[in-house]
Amino acid sequence: MRRFWIGLAFVLSPFVLFALFLLSQGANPLESYQAMLRSAFGDWYGIGEVAIKSTPFLLTALAVAIPARAGLINVGGEGQLMIGALLTTWVGVFYLQGVPAWVGVPVLILMGALGGAIWGIVPALLRQYARMNETITTLLLNYVAFFTVGYFVHGPLKDPESFNWPFSPKLDEALRLPTFGSTRVHIGFVLAIVAALVVWFVIFRTRVGFRLRVIGGNAIAALQAGIKVNRMQLLAMVFGGAVAGIAGMIEIAGIEGHLRPMTGFGYGYIGFLAAWMAWNHPLWTIGTAFLLGAISVAGNALEMTSGLPSSSVSILMAFILLTVLAVGRGSKAS
Amino acid sequence: MIVEILTGAIRAGTSVLFASLGEVVAQRAGVINLGTEGSMLGGAFVAFAVTYQTGSPWIGLLAGGLAGLLFALIHAFLVIQRRANQLAVGLTIIFLAQGLTAFMGQDYVDKQINGLNPIAIPVLSDIPFIGPVFFNHDILTYLVFLLVPLIWWFLFYSKPGVLLRATGEREEVVFSLGKSPTLIRYLAVSFGGLMAGLGGAQLSIAFTHTWVENMTQGRGIIAVALVIFAAWLPTRAMLGAYLFGGAQALQLALQGRGLEVSPFLLFMLPYLLTLVVLFIVERRKVSSMPESLRKVFEGERGGG
Repeated sequence: MRRFWIGLAFVLSPFVLFALFLLSQGANPLESYQAMLRSAFGDWYGIGEVAIKSTPFLLTALAVAIPARAGLINVGGEGQLMIGALLTTWVGVFYLQGVPAWVGVPVLILMGALGGAIWGIVPALLRQYARMNETITTLLLNYVAFFTVGYFVHGPLKDPESFNWPFSPKLDEALRLPTFGSTRVHIGFVLAIVAALVVWFVIFRTRVGFRLRVIGGNAIAALQAGIKVNRMQLLAMVFGGAVAGIAGMIEIAGIEGHLRPMTGFGYGYIGFLAAWMAWNHPLWTIGTAFLLGAISVAGNALEMTSGLPSSSVSILMAFILLTVLAVGRGSKAS
Repeated sequence: MIVEILTGAIRAGTSVLFASLGEVVAQRAGVINLGTEGSMLGGAFVAFAVTYQTGSPWIGLLAGGLAGLLFALIHAFLVIQRRANQLAVGLTIIFLAQGLTAFMGQDYVDKQINGLNPIAIPVLSDIPFIGPVFFNHDILTYLVFLLVPLIWWFLFYSKPGVLLRATGEREEVVFSLGKSPTLIRYLAVSFGGLMAGLGGAQLSIAFTHTWVENMTQGRGIIAVALVIFAAWLPTRAMLGAYLFGGAQALQLALQGRGLEVSPFLLFMLPYLLTLVVLFIVERRKVSSMPESLRKVFEGERGGG
């Protein structure tokens, strides 16, 4: 019983902290939380918005979780998503006009995955051939990706109709992801859940996944057991990057229809939070991505009811992960 | 143009050098703090806001340093006490700092302050070439010039410095001397945060005199990366920081001349340069890495 109360206190502490923060900013925490809950779960529209928001978070979380199983900390989901979105838009706009959906959409998914995979393999190679820490290289490459997208959207990919706030030309209507009924929820959401299930299955139920977990547990033992550590880590980064790249494709084909300089901005970092909140377990990331999606949607409500900027919920997100990290995994093994 | 770029390099590199020097000390004690980016951002904002409110850049500077220190304390607590993964905690602190400063900073975005202005040192600043490049800067730049040899002396020739380095290499030795590695690490990480906070403050109240959301733009991450390039030596951290500053100054100089290059390609320069110098250095064997950092870098479960 005592452990239950301690556990509850830990779960509540970030929310209490955030309430104190709201109070210090002159907002009523109870009213704010109420408005947040109502906007995220009050009606089907809200729940749909949460599903839409959590889709990229789930995929970028998987992009963190897969390499993490092989002992790598990939913070590059942000850049991998952006390059995936860039390649998707480029190919979609210039080569797939008038192509039927059953050809075009799979090609776009592949392009997203390819873009992300390229942005994932670079830090993996740098780690193996130049001993460069992947956390630092992926972080630096995120900035490079951001400016690359900026370059294309202001340059070769700029829609001539866009002036001060440039964006790329629109994707063909046929290439947009189908939505459910009259909602904005698109099949990308289902795709993301399926991806999480597949990743879970591969990691926990196949031989490749077993090897990956051995590496993550103890790379030296894995080497001695004859596992090709370098090749496996490379694979993990390529697949992680590809999954994040697909998130970029979904942002373009499912939501925005065109590329903006800020497309997907911040999603990679939120995915990182989601993955670490779930201790890099693919199934748990479904839950944490959904939670962070809900908090994101609730942020807009916060803006409307208490006039606080929607970005303030990222403080709540950080509080939650800091609590999770502080509590630690206890005796549970990976 | 060369004088312009070199002067610009020092002006733009100072904030990174502050953060890098702090990280040299923290990492020598065995803690890597990616939250340096968060400390810088916190320092930049708090220094700006306090300068605006009080009218005194000196109080602002102090407050900025303390803000950086506070963020570093969160890191220290989670990493040292709770044994959480260092890289993950650091990233979360960046996220926290971005949220907090974006939130509190929205009222300060187009405010004006009386910050720290360049002070030309008499006589010295009149020397051709060298004068404008080195002796016409804000006071924090001069301070950091002095800190480089000071920290170098502290690390290698003072008793506490030796203990600090021993903490990063073999904490059991420190322990057997009756000293507390935990305390030493706390102090080292706090110092790192303080320095990053001062670096951020230099950025907002001395270099740009403005506050912009997320204005550090990865400088803290670059500062951490440059420590590796610097092989944990203060003098080489100086070289690294001014290389970064040089890339920035080059970008500004080229832009100012209306060159037909997309500004976005120029924005990438500092990040690409950091990757390139890391690549060159790390191709050679890294032997000077503090022992306990090796565990973090090579993915030993780092307490995760």
